[in-house]
Amino acid sequence: MIELKNVTRRFGQTVAVDHIDLTVETGEVCVLVGSSGCGKSTTLRMINRLLPTSSGEIQVDGEDIAGMDLQRLRLNMGYAIQGTGLFPHWTVARNIALVPRLLKWPKARIQARVSELLEMLDMDPARFAGAYPQQLSGGQAQRVGVARALAADPNILLMDEPFGALDAITRENLQLEMLRLQRQLKKTTVFVTHDIDEALRLATRIAVMDQGRIIQHDTPENILRRPASDFVENLVGRQDRGLKLMALRPVRDLMTPHDKPHPAEPGADGLKEDDSLRLALSVMLWQDLQQVAVFDHLGNETGVLLRQRLIEGGV
Amino acid sequence: MSSLDEPPNRVITALGLLALVLVWVLDLGTVQPNRIVSGTGYGLFDAAGWFGAVTVSVGLCALMALAILPLRRRYALLGVLLTLALTALPDLLVVFTSAHLPRESPYARTAVGAGFWSLLFLLVLMLIEVVGRLRLGRRGQLGILVVILAGWALLVRQGGLDSLSLMREFESRPDEFLQALRAHLALALGAVAISFVLAFALVLKMMRSEGWRRPVFGVVSFLQTIPSLALFGLLIAPLSALTAAFPVLQGLGIRGIGWAPALLALIAYSLLPMVRNTFVALTEVPEAVIDAGRGMGMTERQLFLQARLPLAMPVIIEGVRITTIQAMGLTAVAALIGAGGFGTFIFQGLGQAAMDLVLLGALPTIGLALAADVVLSALATALQPRPAAVLQHKRTSSG
Repeated sequence: MIELKNVTRRFGQTVAVDHIDLTVETGEVCVLVGSSGCGKSTTLRMINRLLPTSSGEIQVDGEDIAGMDLQRLRLNMGYAIQGTGLFPHWTVARNIALVPRLLKWPKARIQARVSELLEMLDMDPARFAGAYPQQLSGGQAQRVGVARALAADPNILLMDEPFGALDAITRENLQLEMLRLQRQLKKTTVFVTHDIDEALRLATRIAVMDQGRIIQHDTPENILRRPASDFVENLVGRQDRGLKLMALRPVRDLMTPHDKPHPAEPGADGLKEDDSLRLALSVMLWQDLQQVAVFDHLGNETGVLLRQRLIEGGV
Repeated sequence: MSSLDEPPNRVITALGLLALVLVWVLDLGTVQPNRIVSGTGYGLFDAAGWFGAVTVSVGLCALMALAILPLRRRYALLGVLLTLALTALPDLLVVFTSAHLPRESPYARTAVGAGFWSLLFLLVLMLIEVVGRLRLGRRGQLGILVVILAGWALLVRQGGLDSLSLMREFESRPDEFLQALRAHLALALGAVAISFVLAFALVLKMMRSEGWRRPVFGVVSFLQTIPSLALFGLLIAPLSALTAAFPVLQGLGIRGIGWAPALLALIAYSLLPMVRNTFVALTEVPEAVIDAGRGMGMTERQLFLQARLPLAMPVIIEGVRITTIQAMGLTAVAALIGAGGFGTFIFQGLGQAAMDLVLLGALPTIGLALAADVVLSALATALQPRPAAVLQHKRTSSG
């Protein structure tokens, strides 16, 4: 658990972070969102003491970080940033091994961990372990950046716009990857972004920041349904809130399940249980369907989603 | 890369034509009855006989033909021909001396003429052009150099060039030559080493305290602007005063003239390229790399040794390379204040109007500078952060 209590950060006369309180529960993803200069990165960088606080207190699991040994604090926090910050003169394997080596793990353990992480991020260790960062695509490099942050299995992950420099498709892939990993790993994560859609997709709770203050700190659904101010309402978009809400809920929530799942007929079209209601609506509108079959990850048809039900209960 | 439509090479054609004209117009070599009296010049035909003249002319025409004709492997052929031509070039001098050196007079000597120098220079230019087109790696370039130098060394060893006045000048003072070599290397490399240590310490200080940056750059830039002769001279007075005040220093060999002021001046000149390159190299490391490393728990020391220094190394070595080349040349001037080195021969030769003694000082100076260039460039490439090397390897192997 990370707790910020009345934390302020000034740069000379300007106040970058203005008396904020924020609690990030263990295992949740807290996304700090806001336009550039709102203090979200500053807030993040105070948590691993890359920046000192001007006043206030930050606690990790009840312990004030100001009194902790700097290296011990940071080695227990994975850190991924925009543009990866990979060491260009090190191979992918050596980059991922950064923190384990600092912690003086035995060689064999480091090697096994590097392979495990690369496989977890869907990269073939035989092909990528010996490659250099310049030889990777932007998406691959960022995966390595995430792998490096996860290497020593830290309790806390700090991510500063890690996907900010990627194209839309790669970014979406990595966001999905991130969701998948988070379901397995349950790291306490602070994630900074200026992209509200990224925030809505990844967050357990979102902290909307403006001019150094936290305007609203709530779940994505509540941020959409009950924006605390005009600023938040503008940020999430007044008009397409309906679709954004539908994007948050999986098809599983509204489908009519079959009594007994049965194997799909070959070539049958349909949705997966994890797909969003928004995608379901799009498919139905495009193909002019009144209902659509839903499959589980094994390919068995487990139910159908009715258009009527979707329209009535989607938002 | 090598297709049938490879366009004709105008550079080589022009250089070949120029070489052909110059080699016929200028003297290939001269014969002097002794060291001081100016010699008689011999043109290509007189010097090398009709066989030599025809060989040279046909060779140059062949080079031009290879550059113009639509050939598939134009540059490979040109490379081979040029390497052969350069390797065999000193044979012209052998032919010349055996034909014209009067055997009865022991002081007679031959000197290399403008025609020969022009031919050598233009052939080297053509070779550089061809090597560039062939995109030879460092290894290929070194290979060509070794072949040519080995050919020349063999000829010198066989004594074919003994009557060249350059060789005569060397043979009358082999010990002095070795001593000059030692003094030259000690001064130049000593200055580079000391200025490297100084520059590194200064840069570390400049990185920590921003207030030091402007004054340090100001001072080292100012030092660079003082003419070298003036600086050598300016140091005589204070050093003399210093040694007069502290006689202990005299015991160490420090005097107003000699190696001490020369070393000081060379260090002063070396500081600017050294400080500038080291500073830029260490501060231009991408901030994201440092930020990520620091955020993940690396100490400042680990960051410096594992990230900043290895990433900066090629640029730092580049600074050392520039400084070394510059110091090799400047050391020749230091002979004026009695510091020794190859400059001694240059100034002696100028005083005695013996141009070949000047060459005996100048050619090794150039040679040392070139050698420093080759060695340090290779070192910089070897220390390049790996990916660049990997990519380069890919490019050359696919090309």
